[in-house]
Amino acid sequence: MLELGFFYLFAGLAVVAALGVITARNPVHSVMWLIFCFFNAAGLFFLLDAEFIGILLILVYVGAVMVLFMFVVMMLHVNLAALREGFLRYLPLGGAIAAALLAEIVAAGFSGVFTRVPNPGHSGGQVNNTVEIGKVLYTKYLLGFEVAAVILLVALVGAVVLTIRKRKDAKYQNIARQVAVKPSERLRKVRM
Amino acid sequence: MAAYHADDMLAWMLGDAGRGAVMTTFPMPNIAPLIPEMVVAAAAMAILLWDLFLPRERKHWSAWAAMITCAGALALTLKLAAGGPAQAFYGYFTLDAFAVYAKLLIYGGTILAVVLSMDYMKGEPHTGEYYSLLLFGTLGMTLMASAPNFVTMYLGLELMALCTYVLVGYQRDVLRSSEAALKYFILGSLASGVLLYGISFVYGVSGSFDFAAAGQAIAHAGPDARLAVMLALVFLLAGLCFKVSVAPFHMWTPDAYEGAPTPITAFMSIGPKVAGLVVFIRVLDDVLPGLKADYTTILSWLAVLTMAVGNLAAIGQRNIKRMLAYSTIGHIGFVMLGLIAANADGYAGVLVYLTVYLFMNMGAFAIIILMRREGIQGELLDDFAGLGRVRPGYALAMTLFLFSLAGIPFLGGFWAKYVVFIAAVEAGHLYLALIALLFSAVGAFYYIRVVKYIYFDEERVAFNFIENPLMQATVAVTAIAVVALGLFPGPMIAICKSAIAGVI
Repeated sequence: MLELGFFYLFAGLAVVAALGVITARNPVHSVMWLIFCFFNAAGLFFLLDAEFIGILLILVYVGAVMVLFMFVVMMLHVNLAALREGFLRYLPLGGAIAAALLAEIVAAGFSGVFTRVPNPGHSGGQVNNTVEIGKVLYTKYLLGFEVAAVILLVALVGAVVLTIRKRKDAKYQNIARQVAVKPSERLRKVRM
Repeated sequence: MAAYHADDMLAWMLGDAGRGAVMTTFPMPNIAPLIPEMVVAAAAMAILLWDLFLPRERKHWSAWAAMITCAGALALTLKLAAGGPAQAFYGYFTLDAFAVYAKLLIYGGTILAVVLSMDYMKGEPHTGEYYSLLLFGTLGMTLMASAPNFVTMYLGLELMALCTYVLVGYQRDVLRSSEAALKYFILGSLASGVLLYGISFVYGVSGSFDFAAAGQAIAHAGPDARLAVMLALVFLLAGLCFKVSVAPFHMWTPDAYEGAPTPITAFMSIGPKVAGLVVFIRVLDDVLPGLKADYTTILSWLAVLTMAVGNLAAIGQRNIKRMLAYSTIGHIGFVMLGLIAANADGYAGVLVYLTVYLFMNMGAFAIIILMRREGIQGELLDDFAGLGRVRPGYALAMTLFLFSLAGIPFLGGFWAKYVVFIAAVEAGHLYLALIALLFSAVGAFYYIRVVKYIYFDEERVAFNFIENPLMQATVAVTAIAVVALGLFPGPMIAICKSAIAGVI
């Protein structure tokens, strides 16, 4: 009973926070709402005994990813008024698509198919989440894990390639040339 | 197989508390079938570093390294294939004849794309990253070709897509290049989301990511699962159709083709299509055999729409890259006949089509790049006017490629169409084959119009060609291949049939 109460608390707050993300006028507030949303999602994971994923969500997403988001938001000065210009115009179409997707997943969920998959019940206190995840991640899913690492590398390289620019007005110091300088390049004999 | 015992190490790390609590043996996975992919990945990373130490005038060494890597990986794949079909990584990677043939096309396409890039990229910044991304993209495609389940398939797809997004927008200072990359990226991400949505329904119904296991579960799903199964089907098809640019999910194709650097356009028109269609065939054949009646109906309508959009919209184009983009869409429409036939002949027809398409399309793009000169991209149809008088050799080759694309008899393109049309007729889709015949006649019009420009029009711009022996050799080889495949199609068709034998 208590668990159900906590579920509705976390789930409800997560939905509220998600709504906050897309309705907040200030992008910094949006990021804050998103952090709140992640905390509630982590709470849901805790309820499922998946404490490792819950902690990971807080450490990695809230601790690192969202800080990065905050940097980007503060650096870019996104003009939200311009972004929102078409909001009402596209609302009917976008809303209809969202409603259709929601109806589909709800209908499919109530058709009774998904309940046949074993319910993720409590596993008891004896199971070490971290060890269990490690066991499958580095054996059965090793290939996927490695390919995901390559994808991250490509994302990194791609981002650098698309954004790096040599500034024409930047002053570089070429130490090798400085050391190899000859007297004839610096000194000029002048006959008076 | 070597088994690596981790107990001792873990026990050592955790002290006595760890002993007993953690008793796991990590069996070393069978990595042998993956060696070519590992070589490509390692070489891509090596090129990334190596390029930094190359002086400006030797940057083309990276291109040679990429080419040698692909050729080496191809040789290794063929050597491994001689040992028969193999599985690796707990069934997350498969190397059967079908995957091997697809990889032959993928590596071939990448090698040709690198050849086309060498002159084009001269003087551009970041050549090392360019060739490295080409190799990473190729890695993604080969993983897709070898994917027996959704995890490997999706990761391969994302790897390939991410590389192509970056490569399309490679010329940062060209506005249309950045615009095309952004459009492609946003639409591609949406399509990936749609595909994942479909995969999640498949998983919900079957509880498995494995193609065969999911197919079994879907085939035996009861009537109450009907809704979820149909949603899975629709979303899977929509996601896959986007990747191989089937109408109405084709919107990104003309913009991305026009905006991308021309060698990347050539690269995108072969490898990703091969990888996407291999996944398409595996999904239709392994995951959705229980829904054959449903997907045949959906794909038939999409095929008609794709043929119509591709062949009719190409007529109005003045830019040859845009025209070839619509031509790709039209050809995908014809290839879909092989998918709809859903038998060994149909799937073999898909491979035959892609083989011929590799040669004729790469040849055509090689000519377009050869026509690039100061300030002019050689991309407008007008630029081809009078080519027949100035460079009869190029004109003849281009004519062969265009006639082959149009499907004129006794060139490679004719047999490609013939095989899939016959497969569709034998599977009982006579109307579809007749519609395809009609649209291929419409398509012949805009290909032959270019031939008219080449031979019967006065030249409007001064020609000043790139003289690059390697690219001229590419044009010659692809032109000879198109003619040879047209005159002696037998061996190629036989190889494609034997490649498909293990799948169906």
